[in-house]
Amino acid sequence: MKVIIIGAGEVGFHIADILSKEKQDVILIDRNEERLKELSETLDVMILHGSGSSPEVLKKAGLDQADMVIAVTDSDETNMVACLLASTQSRVSYKIARIRNPELDEYADIFGKDRLNINLCINPEREAVKIALDLIEFPGATEVMDFHDGRIKLIGFPIQNSTVTGRTLQQLREIHPDSKMLITSIIRDDKLIEPKGDSVIQENDFFFAVAAAAEAKELLRIFGRKTDPAKRIVIMGGGNTGRMLAEALEGKGLGVKIIEKRKDRCRSLAERLDKAVVLHGDGTSQDLLLEENIRDMDVFAAVTNDEEDNVLGALLAKRLGVKKTIALINRVEYMPLVSKLGIDGVINPRQAAISKILHYVRRGKIISATPLHDERVEAFEVVALATSEITSKPVKRISFPPGTVVGAIVRGEEMIIPGGDTVIQPGDHVIMFTFRSSIPQMEKILMVKLEYFE
Amino acid sequence: MNLKNIVHILGIFIFLIGAAMLPALVISLTLHEAAWTAIGISALITMGTGLLLYVFIPRTGERISLTHREGFVIVTLVWVLASAFGGLPFLLSGVVPTFCDAFFETMSGFTTTGASIISDLDKTARGILFWRALTHWLGGMGIIILSIAILPILGVGGMQLFKAEIPSPIKDKITPRIAETAKNLWLVYVAITAVEVVLLYLGGMSAFDAVCHAFATMATGGFSTYDASIAHFNSLYIEIVIIFFMFVAGMNFILHYRLLRGDAKTFFRDPEFHFYGAIVLVSTVIITLDLRFHYFSNLGESIRYAAFQVVSIMTTTGFATYNFDQWPAPSKFILVLLMFIGGCAGSTGGAIKCLRILIVIKQTFIELYRLIHPHAVLSVKISKVAVPPEVVSSIRSFFVLYIVIAMSAMLALTLLGVDMVTSISGVAATLGNVGPGLGLVNASSTYFELPQAAKWLFSLCMLLGRLEIYTVLVLLVPDFWKK
Repeated sequence: MKVIIIGAGEVGFHIADILSKEKQDVILIDRNEERLKELSETLDVMILHGSGSSPEVLKKAGLDQADMVIAVTDSDETNMVACLLASTQSRVSYKIARIRNPELDEYADIFGKDRLNINLCINPEREAVKIALDLIEFPGATEVMDFHDGRIKLIGFPIQNSTVTGRTLQQLREIHPDSKMLITSIIRDDKLIEPKGDSVIQENDFFFAVAAAAEAKELLRIFGRKTDPAKRIVIMGGGNTGRMLAEALEGKGLGVKIIEKRKDRCRSLAERLDKAVVLHGDGTSQDLLLEENIRDMDVFAAVTNDEEDNVLGALLAKRLGVKKTIALINRVEYMPLVSKLGIDGVINPRQAAISKILHYVRRGKIISATPLHDERVEAFEVVALATSEITSKPVKRISFPPGTVVGAIVRGEEMIIPGGDTVIQPGDHVIMFTFRSSIPQMEKILMVKLEYFE
Repeated sequence: MNLKNIVHILGIFIFLIGAAMLPALVISLTLHEAAWTAIGISALITMGTGLLLYVFIPRTGERISLTHREGFVIVTLVWVLASAFGGLPFLLSGVVPTFCDAFFETMSGFTTTGASIISDLDKTARGILFWRALTHWLGGMGIIILSIAILPILGVGGMQLFKAEIPSPIKDKITPRIAETAKNLWLVYVAITAVEVVLLYLGGMSAFDAVCHAFATMATGGFSTYDASIAHFNSLYIEIVIIFFMFVAGMNFILHYRLLRGDAKTFFRDPEFHFYGAIVLVSTVIITLDLRFHYFSNLGESIRYAAFQVVSIMTTTGFATYNFDQWPAPSKFILVLLMFIGGCAGSTGGAIKCLRILIVIKQTFIELYRLIHPHAVLSVKISKVAVPPEVVSSIRSFFVLYIVIAMSAMLALTLLGVDMVTSISGVAATLGNVGPGLGLVNASSTYFELPQAAKWLFSLCMLLGRLEIYTVLVLLVPDFWKK
């Protein structure tokens, strides 16, 4: 597959990196020559210097043979023009654009088939807000992901000071016979372990579990995680992300305080928001936090544009006694670092954009993919296709790449914990985990065999 | 610098060099030559060493990702080790007397120079001759580029190696993925070689000679299987076929790739191609006239020998149909100049290369223009695209470096007691990967008589020439080795 990526920023770089390692032909376009030069040393892609909205440059990139255009520059306009050119000057089948301006949300029809014809619009801020809302809704979880249109949640949480430590999964199941527990994988000392009945739960294990949205809280409770719903939330940073988050929380009837540095921005926030308290000041100031009674707050979400500020603000709030802290980070390589610092939840808008794009790129075969835990592991949801290798035989006889775990099978409305003898049926939604390096091999297994002869 | 990874990777290359000896072994065995034991033992030693290094020096980490420094070290060492191990068949079969000679002969092979030690080709075993031609062919498009094409292990790190080996100032990829680029270049190379084999065979060569000469032509090498080189065949048809293919091999293979993909416009409008063609044409005309009035008595003969020799020297092949050492001085001088110019960037030819000379000339004109219009903003353009200033400046330093190294090597040779004409032409011929020179090293003699130190120096010149100086020279900069 030939993919043209416009914009070599964080998102463009990571997508290019992942796709080129999966042996796709990637052409990366950017206006910053220095940046391109730097990337060409580390990426096995073709680089092209120029503007993504220039027909000349796109022609040079081989637009007429491209299967996909991913426009992820900082400029919405450039991204739109690039996608427009991709559908008018050639027949590129998949066009993805990053559109950040929230005002455009109300005019979503301009992206439709007979207008700009963009298949997927990504707003990293909106994705970040979605993740923040999930993390606020499940206070005990540090990672929450949606599958099956949000009806199924994948939750990740560490085991800390819990009563279940030292027990086996089998014992736990006996204590809670009614609960539908689907522990999909355990990460212990950076290794992915397949959970079995006799697996002993250890302190500092990191669990991934799948549950129906309604039962997720019960599951967290069993593992000794907090489940009380958050009522009072402090948001640090009143940018687009902060504002959208505040609006969403307000809509749920929760108490929101929002701290913003710029006075004029505060005024416009105060005008737009209904009940939320808008505070003018620095979120990393201890005095302000104490003044606002941070100790009684349930969640502190730091979502300014400055990631260092976010981390410091969250750490300070944690020390002052807030129950849960969430910090927004932009650099993907900081993510594992930040979670080790003691911050309960990390949001990365770019990472969110990357997973959404990957989900699209691996169309048909993998319908939803999310990188977990230092990015080395990916969780993904697939629809099992008739005649593909996974439907032909019991799970234990499928030659999955090493480290692959079949987490859960959703058949109709029913969720199944797969055993070695389970046979996946066509049409099942399967949630699986595997190492990123095994994705191409995985795709082969999932592919319908006839596709080879297309 | 991760030494373990470097040695591990070198193990793979050494093994491949050993495996490449197997066809020669098969030929020797089928012809019942005594040399088969020498080739067999060499292949065993080489493959064994490679395997031992690969297995007993494990790499660190799951994926090897090379830094650009490691790339330079690996590429230089691969070429040196390939020449050391590749020389074993010559040494063990007794074709050459010393290790120095064997190293020289193989370095000359891999770097597609074609300067030889062996004076008795007509009586040398076929297996040995085949190996000699094969070293040319493997070195022509590049040992490392071949490995990138066939081995998946060198993914991202491959780019570092690719850049260090490809002989061009502008290191473009023709496809997004490096392995794909390497594969396409090799496919083009193999395809053109195959066509030449067929054409030479139709011209009356034996299959063995056709293959060996096609290898030597397409790599712009110059090893023949006969002492008299191409003059042995005394056939106008063969000479024309070889002229054509030498000319093709001296061109940028990316252009050939484009032409085969149906893009004739880029091919015929390439400014470097025009420049290259013009130099060949002008030199041929001048030498023809010189030969006609001062050497031969008829025009046909003058054109025939002039054209062959100009193309052979310009593309840095080094085949001979006539011992041009006997020609008048102007002709000899033009040929020595051509040794410095060489083929096009991205070709299998050596020397400074047309693209660099073209850019330096354009840059010189710009400097003159600037004297007339002091405020003019100007840039060097090649086919309407501006060449980045850092590439222009790197080309200028390459130019200077090439001349400085040539001069130093010439001086060193005269100090070793070699005469002036031999020193100057010998350095031009080895640094430019041409092969035969003038004086003692003329087209009908060999480099055998020279002192051993001179042979080592010539070997170094060949390596510097093939890897375009920077890759080798950077290893001598102390900062390179600092942590």
